Amino acid sequence: MKAVNLIPSEERRGRSAGVGRSGGAAYIVLGALGVLAVLVLLYGMARHQVSDRKGKLATITAQTQRAQEAATALTPYTSFVALREQRMQAVEAVVDSRFDWAHAFHELGRVLPRETSISSIDGTVGGAAATSTASAPAASSTTTAPTASATSATPPGSVPAMTLGGCASSQAEVALTLQRLRLMDGVSAVSLQSSAKSSASGAGGASSKGNCKANSPTFTVQITFEPLPTPAASSGSATKLTASTGGGQ
Amino acid sequence: MTTRDRLVLIGVMALALLAAVWLLLVSPERKTASKLSSEISTASAQLASAQGDQASAQAAQRRYSAAYSSVVSLGKAVPASEEVPSLMYQIAQATNARHVQFNSITTGGGASGASAGSASSTVAAAAASAGFSQMPFTFVFGGSFDDLYRLFRQLNAATVRTSSGGLQVSGRLLTLQGVKLEPAGTEGSSQLTGTITATAYVLPASQGLTAGATPTSPTTPGSATSASSTPASSTPSSSSAAPAPAATIGAVR
Repeated sequence: MKAVNLIPSEERRGRSAGVGRSGGAAYIVLGALGVLAVLVLLYGMARHQVSDRKGKLATITAQTQRAQEAATALTPYTSFVALREQRMQAVEAVVDSRFDWAHAFHELGRVLPRETSISSIDGTVGGAAATSTASAPAASSTTTAPTASATSATPPGSVPAMTLGGCASSQAEVALTLQRLRLMDGVSAVSLQSSAKSSASGAGGASSKGNCKANSPTFTVQITFEPLPTPAASSGSATKLTASTGGGQ
Repeated sequence: MTTRDRLVLIGVMALALLAAVWLLLVSPERKTASKLSSEISTASAQLASAQGDQASAQAAQRRYSAAYSSVVSLGKAVPASEEVPSLMYQIAQATNARHVQFNSITTGGGASGASAGSASSTVAAAAASAGFSQMPFTFVFGGSFDDLYRLFRQLNAATVRTSSGGLQVSGRLLTLQGVKLEPAGTEGSSQLTGTITATAYVLPASQGLTAGATPTSPTTPGSATSASSTPASSTPSSSSAAPAPAATIGAVR
């Protein structure tokens, strides 16, 4: 005799619980709807972001344009201030590249021995000394030294030099003079070109003018100073300019 | 069609629907949002730059008055034209104050002067193209050593650095390239003849003293741009404008 299962097929054991009559399709649909809802949410958020960012971008663009227009309108002021800075820096470069002859003369007077007198001074900046004096050290090599301020007639790197002609009471005094001249501020080298008794001044080549005694040696000395310094970069805006109408004391 | 087949079909359709929604709606919108975000970043940087430019320009506008005064004052040191009379007047005034005789002035580097003449003119010629125009002079003075020493100091002091690093302008900017002192001729006399080779400076002819600016407003954008666009080695300014009137000169920043 064959057994017959009288339990309805959808309630029999072995079928998955909760599947129901749809066979699980309802769950699939529900899941899909859930995911769809998430996607719609993401879409809405993205739309909102796009809208928000478009507005922000437009605002920023407008602000940028306004700022650029304002800056453009003030360009003449900017250019003029830049002009001022350039001119200030150029003047400073020239001022800084000058050699202080007054200070050199002051130093000369400070170190010169009492028994020595000077009859002539010939000072130059650059290669001039080299053309007149073959032994002038390094002067010619720096004549065209490339510098930051090519405007100056005495550009940084130029070598000031001074040729002294004079006489001393003795050759020992000439030697002392050479030593003392090395004490001058900014001197890099002191070289003797000639020293001869005044009776033989023609051979010595030195000037015999001045208060030289008959038998005193006349000498010619070349003093070479340190090269003119390269001006330090300065910010023109920070430089204070003072002008006066006076005679320039 | 079995139940399982129906389930598979429904699942596939659901997945297809979701994929379509993602690909056609959500993803493009998210990409647009992302692109806009990067555009906003770029625009923000541009805005910051523009605002910086604007702030600089506004600062320049606030400083204009002081800058104008500075430029005019600098015109006393480096005028727009040769201004030889004012230079002679300045030197004559200095020599009178120092009891020095102002014997002669020669333009062009001075062949009769100090031996610096030829070499310095070479240097000057090489340099002239880069910035200020140079005006070589040779001056001959007569006086004692002390008086000449003080005169040289005064000539330098017309335009000089202050101890605080600023610039003080009270007269023409001069560079002394060569100095020659020799006895004036009289035996036993303390009088010397001082020959100075010097260079004065003039603004390039293509520039004006103030580049067309007035005390109240700057130059037109076109000319201002051209003036300021010159290299730093060149310095501005000008041509026909007269040197700074004394009334406009004062302590300025």
